[in-house]
Amino acid sequence: MRRALAVLAVFAAALVAPGSAFAHVTLVSSEPVTQSRVDTPPSEIRLRFNGPVTITSNAVRVLAPDGTVLSGTPRTEDRGYVVVAPVSGLVDGQGYTVRWRVIGSDGHSPAGVFTFGVGIAAPPPTEAVGSSGTTWRDDVARWAFFGALALLIGPLVVRLLIIRNRPVPGPLEHRFHLLGVIASFLVIDVGIAAFILRASNALQLPIADLPYGDLQPFAEKTRFGIAFLVMTFGIGIVASLLLVAWVFDRLDLRWPALVLSLALLSGLSLSGHQATEPNSTWLSETADWLHLVAASIWVGGVATLAFLVWPLAPGLRRTTFLGFARLAAVLVAAMVLAGAYLALVRLPELSDLWETQYGRFLLLKAAIVGIALTWGAAHHFLVRPRLEAGDEPDVGPSLVGEAVVAFAVLLTAAILTNLAPPPIDSASSTIARTSR
Amino acid sequence: MIPRAEDAHWLAAAVALFLGLVLIAELIVGREVFRRRAWRAYLFPAAVVVASVGLWVIVVFSTFSTMHLLAHAVWAQAALVAGAVELALVRGKLTSPRWSLVPGVALFVSGFAFLVHEPNPWLYSRSAFLHHAIGWMLVIVALFPLGEALRPRQLVWRTGFALTFVLLAVFLFADRDAAPIFGRFGLGGP
Repeated sequence: MRRALAVLAVFAAALVAPGSAFAHVTLVSSEPVTQSRVDTPPSEIRLRFNGPVTITSNAVRVLAPDGTVLSGTPRTEDRGYVVVAPVSGLVDGQGYTVRWRVIGSDGHSPAGVFTFGVGIAAPPPTEAVGSSGTTWRDDVARWAFFGALALLIGPLVVRLLIIRNRPVPGPLEHRFHLLGVIASFLVIDVGIAAFILRASNALQLPIADLPYGDLQPFAEKTRFGIAFLVMTFGIGIVASLLLVAWVFDRLDLRWPALVLSLALLSGLSLSGHQATEPNSTWLSETADWLHLVAASIWVGGVATLAFLVWPLAPGLRRTTFLGFARLAAVLVAAMVLAGAYLALVRLPELSDLWETQYGRFLLLKAAIVGIALTWGAAHHFLVRPRLEAGDEPDVGPSLVGEAVVAFAVLLTAAILTNLAPPPIDSASSTIARTSR
Repeated sequence: MIPRAEDAHWLAAAVALFLGLVLIAELIVGREVFRRRAWRAYLFPAAVVVASVGLWVIVVFSTFSTMHLLAHAVWAQAALVAGAVELALVRGKLTSPRWSLVPGVALFVSGFAFLVHEPNPWLYSRSAFLHHAIGWMLVIVALFPLGEALRPRQLVWRTGFALTFVLLAVFLFADRDAAPIFGRFGLGGP
């Protein structure tokens, strides 16, 4: 009993008289400001933290574009809240990288990287000195992200648009719910993994230190970071809507989930090549969003037909197949038109198709899309008439094959997204000039 | 842009206290009386689902470190799944008592995330102390839903489950990352 009372007393003591304190040690401000442009070269770098920190001689390193270290030995000020590093040799018209690492009073060892420009815009943090480019891991993460989005959106479209007024067997309805929830969680988790991978390419921290890497410059000062934050929160709402729709058997709650998911796809368009390249326009952003919407519905829809409707609801096969065939014609037209326009915008010369890596992957993607479209056309022109005539052809395995090819298209799309397109020569990009 | 962690933790503490008081109220008057008005049965699980949406907001503000981003995302997902399963149980959508294990798994995963994202020993600081205390508490009390699934008539499981939220609120209200462990009575601290 005494021991129990002593334990309770300890807990009560923990509530008494809190000292002034803040959160985990993080960088709250800097001079120059992260990702900013300054007019004159600074003579020192000042980093302010939300708690006292201790430092080593390598706590702050300022790097020129060629990797030369321009900073001297850092010191702390203001009771350890501020770290100051003298710098010299900065010149106008260049971007610089600041890499920092401190030890917080909470024992954590946060680290980060940011850039600033003298007389020019700051380079993106992903292009900080010492950063590695994207790797195959980024491609796989992006592929999984696209796939999860397709598996979230496709089944919602099939359920809400194609078999909306049909009685749906219990097991199929259950799978629709389950797939929607799992896909939304996959979008979130794969999105987080992809974001951390992208940031880690720039942070260049050992794996043991990555847990305390500062992701704020990437999350708040880059388009892909802001898109990541909005999409993570938005898909969290989508997951909540889908779960509540399942609990209360409310089909109508899946509409806002679908609309929100489609709207959130714009995050990818507003942070990708079609928004960040010099000749990007609102038209290229809109075309990219349409391309993504059509591709997500098409890939997810084919997968829904192959893996849900065909094995679980024989009575709905004909309706779903015919309904999706009509929708697919529109989707393919949108994908091909938007994709062709985007290719013209991204590749100023025809020879870029075979002379650049981006162009070669675009050709590969077009080839795989061609296979998928041929497969789809076979279904459209050979299977659809038989279904309309009342036959019941077993095209389940063929639908699985089309779905596999469709996911292969997503892989090439993921690689293309991570590849840099050829540089734009403003004089040669006719499309860019006319659409700007 | 980032709110102070203390503020976020105190807000979470208020939500945990509300959840704990709802469960304690149900324990005191009995499930039958408490659920005479149907909406009361939905109060706890609905609050958990709404709290999970709040956790997504915290996720967005947690980019100051990789570990905190991951940990908050884990808590948001665990809360959402556990809340939805509880809602489904109340509504009768799920009937098997085995579904009662889901909150246990959510508690275990949440506790594990607490322990993993604290690299310092217990007595390093108050923050470290509370992270360990909350983490181990959640891992251990994950057994309560298991007990309820196996022996649903024993009140001890539900009592322990309810008190877990109250204790969690106490811990979160006490959270000061750089304060001495025991306030002015002071052991440890940076």
